[in-house]
Amino acid sequence: MPEIKTQDFTAASTAAILDPKLRRALDRVAEGFHVARLDRIEEVTQDVWDGWKDQAREIKVHTIENLDYYLELLDKNVTAAGGQLHFAKDADEANEIVAHIVRTRNIKIVTKSKSMVSEELGLNPVLEALGVEVWETDLGEYIIQLAEETPSHLVAPALHKSKEDVAALFTEKLGIPYDEDIYHMAATARTILRDKFMEADLGISGANFVVAETGTLVIITNEGNGRLCTSAPRVHIGITGMEKVIPSMQDLSAFLRLLPRSATGQRITSYVSMTTGPRRSDDEDGPEEFHLILVDNGRSKMLADPALREALYCIRCGACLNICPVYSRIGGHAYGWVYPGPIGAVVSPMLVGLPKAKELPQASSLCGACREVCPVNIDIPKMLLDLRKKTAESPDSSLRSAPEIERVLARLYAKLMSSPKLLKMGVKFGRFAQKLERMTPVFSPLTTDGKWIRNAHIPILSRWTKSRDLPTLPKQTFHELWEKELSPDDS
Amino acid sequence: MTANAKITADLFITCVVDQLYPDVGVSVVRVLRRLGVTVGFPTDQTCCGQPVYNTGYSQQARTLAKRVLEQFKDSEYVVVPSGSCAATIRVFYLEIFDDDTELLAEAKALAAKTYEFSEFLVNVLKVDDAADCGAGHEGTVTYHPSCHLLRELGVKSEPQKLLQSVPGLEQKELEGAEICCGFGGTFSVKFPHISEGMVTDKVANIQASGADTLVSCDMSCLMNIGGALNRQESAIKVRHLAQILDPESE
Amino acid sequence: MPGTPKAEFLQSVREALGRENVPPIEAYPRLAETPSELEQQVAQMRQHIEDNLPALLDKLAKMAALGGWRVHRASRPEDVIEYIETLARDSGTANVVRSNQDVFNQIPLDATLTNLGLTVTTVLRDETTTRESLREEIRQSGIGITGADYALAETGSVIVLPRKGLARLISVVPPVHIALVRAEDLLETLDDLFLLRRLEYHQQGGEMGSYLNFITGPSRTADIEMTIVEGVHGPKEVHMIILG
Repeated sequence: MPEIKTQDFTAASTAAILDPKLRRALDRVAEGFHVARLDRIEEVTQDVWDGWKDQAREIKVHTIENLDYYLELLDKNVTAAGGQLHFAKDADEANEIVAHIVRTRNIKIVTKSKSMVSEELGLNPVLEALGVEVWETDLGEYIIQLAEETPSHLVAPALHKSKEDVAALFTEKLGIPYDEDIYHMAATARTILRDKFMEADLGISGANFVVAETGTLVIITNEGNGRLCTSAPRVHIGITGMEKVIPSMQDLSAFLRLLPRSATGQRITSYVSMTTGPRRSDDEDGPEEFHLILVDNGRSKMLADPALREALYCIRCGACLNICPVYSRIGGHAYGWVYPGPIGAVVSPMLVGLPKAKELPQASSLCGACREVCPVNIDIPKMLLDLRKKTAESPDSSLRSAPEIERVLARLYAKLMSSPKLLKMGVKFGRFAQKLERMTPVFSPLTTDGKWIRNAHIPILSRWTKSRDLPTLPKQTFHELWEKELSPDDS
Repeated sequence: MTANAKITADLFITCVVDQLYPDVGVSVVRVLRRLGVTVGFPTDQTCCGQPVYNTGYSQQARTLAKRVLEQFKDSEYVVVPSGSCAATIRVFYLEIFDDDTELLAEAKALAAKTYEFSEFLVNVLKVDDAADCGAGHEGTVTYHPSCHLLRELGVKSEPQKLLQSVPGLEQKELEGAEICCGFGGTFSVKFPHISEGMVTDKVANIQASGADTLVSCDMSCLMNIGGALNRQESAIKVRHLAQILDPESE
Repeated sequence: MPGTPKAEFLQSVREALGRENVPPIEAYPRLAETPSELEQQVAQMRQHIEDNLPALLDKLAKMAALGGWRVHRASRPEDVIEYIETLARDSGTANVVRSNQDVFNQIPLDATLTNLGLTVTTVLRDETTTRESLREEIRQSGIGITGADYALAETGSVIVLPRKGLARLISVVPPVHIALVRAEDLLETLDDLFLLRRLEYHQQGGEMGSYLNFITGPSRTADIEMTIVEGVHGPKEVHMIILG
């Protein structure tokens, strides 16, 4: 697995939020994808859209609830089509399977189409250690491979790079003259990778879906690299999470309608490639061998937890990233692992272990925008809340996300709010403290009119007042006003 | 207005309004009374439990939620001048008590009669003209739909409908209206840098709207946005919808 | 082979689901359908298309154009040939590769293209043509011409299935792809396509064919600053000629 930096969320997000270039890039992506997505929904009407969503969710619910059955069916049909299905319980196993194929099939050059699961496995370093040339062929993935970085978005992996960044990178790594024309840069990648597609012995792809009834691998791309990866090399390996299985080919309709529209606002992508087994004797091209590797790597933990099971319905469209006010300010790298944004804040803790990623579920205002855009109606805020519950009061201190003082305060709060009398005393004390503070103007945290706290010295409040004022306690609470003026007994 | 004479509504005023914005509560009472509603206020009430619930302290949330169930057991209607606190009662209580049949039944009963202020006016009292409450407002207003009101309760058109019918009021469009202001309860102090980033954008959009007043149905969001506006010495006022509808509010 | 044995893997999934054994699967209507039920649905679908053919062809043309195809409607084979002749002349390429699908018997192109001085390679494997040499021919071609197994009005897509004489690289490697679509290739929706393919899968005793590929418009990327660039790995220019 790639390096886990989820523990550094606060520091990483603090740095990211101050990066104006990143913000421009994030705005561009969020705006571009989000607006196109809304146009597509309007085009088909909200009712039709909601119908597709319900249909897709129903398929996911059914499949995940019967996952063992469909995995068995998939295995049977991949085998019947002349392919091989492999099961990997973790990243090491999945990487070993690929390494075994590489060694035994004398593989020298590998072309890869975009696969988030292979990022999750940290596959590339494993292949490189075997002395194999590995070429990411999706333009965004190619860029980040050259830059030795990780994707910062599920759909647009290199969004954080400006055209100047890419031009400088190409100059440095490819030794070509600096040229920031985007068309020229894409052409450069085309030329280099075209040769590699033709020379490659092994094509590796992810999978958007795998169809149990026919043993079919479905990948959805725009560049055509996926088509080339599945057609040109003599061996193909598809690698994906075990949750990507769907029952029948007919179940694809809903997903092919939802995924491109949700991801990029396209009606459909340029290419949908459905591969079933190796090439048959009459076929003019295609791989001689077809392997599909299904990975657990922590997914069964989500499966076992009824509160988090629905995270497995995710089709990785990235819509929740594009709409998220947190993601769109800090970008993907701040999340510290492969899956960023709202869905990443659920999935990453489950895959890397909650103790390491316990901060991620806290980093949400729970505004619910992610749930609203999710094409399979995943209730992300509810899962974030569930993870918060798991980290707030866990008897296991490695799971607890907040310092002990937070638990004390939560208990105090509940005590205070359980007793109107105590609360009344508390408010009175607060007013008294405010008055006292006013009498010491040098240290006074209040504005001159006394209506706002501007520079709180108290630890938690000071976090608020760094950039915002906080209203002071007024002379009377509503309770007091009600008793004095508003209660029908008085009027 | 006499049409509503038989309606009794108990206020769940919320802790934020009680302790920081009592004037908002006063306006809520005045507006409801003008519409003929008999207003009650169970005085033992404190907080719905949302701050602890959202931070993951479900046991503490449960303690507070039980109090609310108890206090409003006999109410005909419960009116809450906050989308967020109304959502806690209507949506989150059902999660909190989903392991207890008896309390879940009570929570469902409470949820069924609990309304956020604007939806109570429009959907229960059938107010379609804000002039019915005697409202009048000279000036320009822009509206921030708070997230829980919008996405947990699905209340989208009701506040707009009321604002549109206020005599003298001119509405200004708010760019990015449905984007969260960055409050998010304890999120605002756990990740102040992100929260600040969000409220900064919200404030910029409010300023660009050209409105002199920002209206919302949640004082916690307005505390966040208003605090940022005040820090920037902005003259833009923040008001709860009830204050706009209440002709006696300054 | 490394990895977890199937039985063990499935057992862990079952445990995660909180079950001991594989329970009888809950009714899933789709998988229970018999081929004769699918046949009935296909017959209805065919009838619907026949009844609405002109409107659906218009929809195909509209959606294909929205998807980035340069759409040309032709009423006679001669029009098709004439149009391809113009494209070939304008492209300045010396080599054209075409598949060996039925449609080319109906629309004989080769003589016209050869007259232009172009070398036309047909995908036809024999003793002298290997898959490798074929691949090189495709790579040298400026234009790839294929038929379509189906064309989808809903999405404006061309669907190609494996068959002798059709290499998948023809439609993705040359910088220009021309797809010939006939009225009889038309399907309305994704549902139509998958219904039909499922029926065929069962009729052929569980054989799907090695691929089912959609093409909708040119190859494109927006990976650098969200700027759309066409022709990144696949063709930059794609033409859909609709005959009928």
